[in-house]
Amino acid sequence: MLHRAATRVKPPIRIAAGFIVACAAAVAQTGPAAHNEVLIKNAVVMTVTHGDIQNGSVYIKDGKIAAVGQNVTAPADATVIDAGGKYLTPGIIDSHSHIALDDDVNEATSPITPQMMMLDAFDYQDKAIYRGLAGGVTTSLLLHGSANMIGGQAIVIKHKYGANRDAMLFPGAPRSIKFASGENPKRVYGGREQLPSTRMGNFEVQREALVQAQEYMREWDDYNAKVKKGDKDAKPPKRDLKLEALADVLRGKLLVQIHCYRADELLTEMAMAKEFGYKVRAFHHALEAYKVADKLAAEGVGIATFSDWWGFKQEAWDAIPWNAVMSMRKGVRVAIKSDSEDFARRLNQEAAKTMRYGGATEEEALKMITLNAAWIIGVDDRVGSIDVGKDADLVIWDGYPLSSYGVPNKVLIDGDVYFDRALPGFGMPHYKEGM
Amino acid sequence: MRASGVGPQTSGAAVSRWRLAVGQLLVLALCLSLPTVGRAQQPIVLKGGKLLTITHGVIENGVLVMANGKIAAVGAAGAVNIPGDARVVDVSGMTVYPGLIDSESYLGLTEISAEKSTNDLVELSDEIMPHMHVFDAFHAESALIPVTRLNGITNAIVAPDSQDTLPGQDSFIQLDGNSAEEMLLVRDIAMPLNFTGEQRRNQSWERAKFPFTRMGMAAQLRQAFLDAQDYAQRWADYEKKKSEGETKSASDKDKKQPPAPPKRDLKLEALLPYLEGKKPIVLAAEGPSDLETAVGLAREFKLKFVLNHISHSQPVLDYVAALKVPVIVGPIYEDPKPEERYDAVYSLPAQLYKRGVKIAFASVEAHNVRNLPYQAGFAVAFGLPYDEALKAITLNPAEIWGVADQLGSLDVGKTANVVVANGDPLDVKTDVKQVFIAGREIPMTSRQTRLRDEYSGR
Repeated sequence: MLHRAATRVKPPIRIAAGFIVACAAAVAQTGPAAHNEVLIKNAVVMTVTHGDIQNGSVYIKDGKIAAVGQNVTAPADATVIDAGGKYLTPGIIDSHSHIALDDDVNEATSPITPQMMMLDAFDYQDKAIYRGLAGGVTTSLLLHGSANMIGGQAIVIKHKYGANRDAMLFPGAPRSIKFASGENPKRVYGGREQLPSTRMGNFEVQREALVQAQEYMREWDDYNAKVKKGDKDAKPPKRDLKLEALADVLRGKLLVQIHCYRADELLTEMAMAKEFGYKVRAFHHALEAYKVADKLAAEGVGIATFSDWWGFKQEAWDAIPWNAVMSMRKGVRVAIKSDSEDFARRLNQEAAKTMRYGGATEEEALKMITLNAAWIIGVDDRVGSIDVGKDADLVIWDGYPLSSYGVPNKVLIDGDVYFDRALPGFGMPHYKEGM
Repeated sequence: MRASGVGPQTSGAAVSRWRLAVGQLLVLALCLSLPTVGRAQQPIVLKGGKLLTITHGVIENGVLVMANGKIAAVGAAGAVNIPGDARVVDVSGMTVYPGLIDSESYLGLTEISAEKSTNDLVELSDEIMPHMHVFDAFHAESALIPVTRLNGITNAIVAPDSQDTLPGQDSFIQLDGNSAEEMLLVRDIAMPLNFTGEQRRNQSWERAKFPFTRMGMAAQLRQAFLDAQDYAQRWADYEKKKSEGETKSASDKDKKQPPAPPKRDLKLEALLPYLEGKKPIVLAAEGPSDLETAVGLAREFKLKFVLNHISHSQPVLDYVAALKVPVIVGPIYEDPKPEERYDAVYSLPAQLYKRGVKIAFASVEAHNVRNLPYQAGFAVAFGLPYDEALKAITLNPAEIWGVADQLGSLDVGKTANVVVANGDPLDVKTDVKQVFIAGREIPMTSRQTRLRDEYSGR
């Protein structure tokens, strides 16, 4: 494929960054997105934001949704996909994934490693990306593990399996950083008789790091102020990648995603965020959110949770399958996430469980794996619903998606078909084994 | 359970007489859940539901009568005689089906996965542990059991974990009872033989231990079965000598000492019913080579066996079919190999069914056994006929485990393990409204519903 062929051509010498960007843009244009005028017709369009449209159509232009409705006009030369009355949903968004990281999920040698960049470990050829795609997932947030209190900076990918590494990155997605708490850090470091081995230790380590970051930020702010004033003798402080990343947290430049189970720890994390002046974007797992949902709602913190997983460790003992809906009813923005290669392949079923446990409506359930998940990642203006102007990341389903029987028939990303169940082999137009 | 005033009206004085308000029904439910062993229960009639009988089709607007823990009558409305003393429950709009059966679980052997003190899953000191009996560890009061049965699972195989080639013997349980005694329906019902490679002791060179390879696993298994054959022979010789001695002494009044019995060996003794073909071995393998090696071993010792998992044996499914043995599939959520298509494992049940293989689903889980029916539903999405999927968690496992005379369908005379739900049992959206186990109306509560209710009020 063109994407991959282009990556094999290494620039002979170091060239200006601008030139590389231009090349990348050229590659993107000659890639699979070339046939970018598509009309999907005869579908039950589950828009997520404005109900279902029976016998609906979606017109895609330049990889974006250009029109949605029952009466949509498209140019005569647009590629037509007849959905045959099947359901059409936005691509599924997994707001908590560890796929494609080849076990490099935890730099478990220090509890504070915010300078770890997931991009450096991103194994873009991992078949789990393909299997998620075949399950309808088009966007995932690849997070660090929870061995460390602060694990590192995440990446957001689109599941364009067969494309090159950079083509899989979600363009312009905000940066997220993974925090953790509870059993995992204390087990990892406690097991080595190191700090932290208790929840006291966990939070102390985190607080200590944030205090250092405050000082570091101040030094840089002072320096920058001097430079601004024209002080030519001002000496820049020494750069420290770890503190630089944390300073960005304090400056609100990173979305803070916190692995946290127990209700008391959810509250402690929110208190700490207040103390240091940053915002928590979402709590992940958050299996006891139902106990303090009103408090999460008041702070505008989302949750990315399991539908019904429980009992795998002590801090998951009070997990109940009604967590998602009980929290939602209190005003919390709820996403159902995979945290597993397995669940990433059938998040639609996991979301459908919320209809049974607590009575979520179809749209509420679907939102938990689309728009709400997109909000947690910070890309809800780009994906997560079938609205004009959004990326044409779409799934045509065999069967009703919110059931045991929903299976993706076709998956489009940026208007291009990346998975087609009817195709032989892996079912991917842009990929063959051995590429 | 559907109470009065909900759903379409059904006619008949008997029904309206027995229609109860929700509150009364709950009180009754609690009363009925008290120990009832040894005393006659008031018959319960489920009227107006859609009955999925498994053996004789679907009965719309059916009637099911439960009495003395058994199914006393099943049929279409009007065709079934309703006992005068029965409590009639209107279940119109509901679906009624037999309790679901999980063909491999760890229920009662674990509470919190990561907490060692709560786990009794497998003995790792040796690979040949046939004398381990899960009934000795089975924790009847486990919080997992009510959580599980609330989703309509009423029976399960409890197996030791799979890190040993012969980790011990399975029991078949019922998910309700006043004690482990009552819940353990069949002890030592079968014995797993695991041959997946996971049983090798090859985690590191530093901690290497026999068997380090599959060759070691096979050699060790072969030796164990040979030793058991030898042990059986020693006992047979002894019995023979003893009976000869007895006959002799009876006639000759010989004062000769009776022969000394061989020393008892629990490990080898445990293998005997399997070597004699009295009970099935549950032969677990994943890929073709392991499968063929394990089947070879089973044949060498003339073991009766069913297959387990075979998640990556797609290339040899005709060979599997030719073995004419049932296959426990699952979990079908097993990842495919990198070279396999995404649906290679999802479609395995359909592929086996097509070849005439009898299949049953297993959760191979503890906390998530409750999701067993969704696995069957998912297999439908990948080509398994719906009726077969339902059979694979009801009648098929009952037949495989030798309990089909009591379980697996809505038939007269069978144990009244009956589920009432608001829809398709295989769909994730379906809510189970009431479960009956041995005719007892199970309180629809668990540790989880209590937490839900406690925090819903705040």
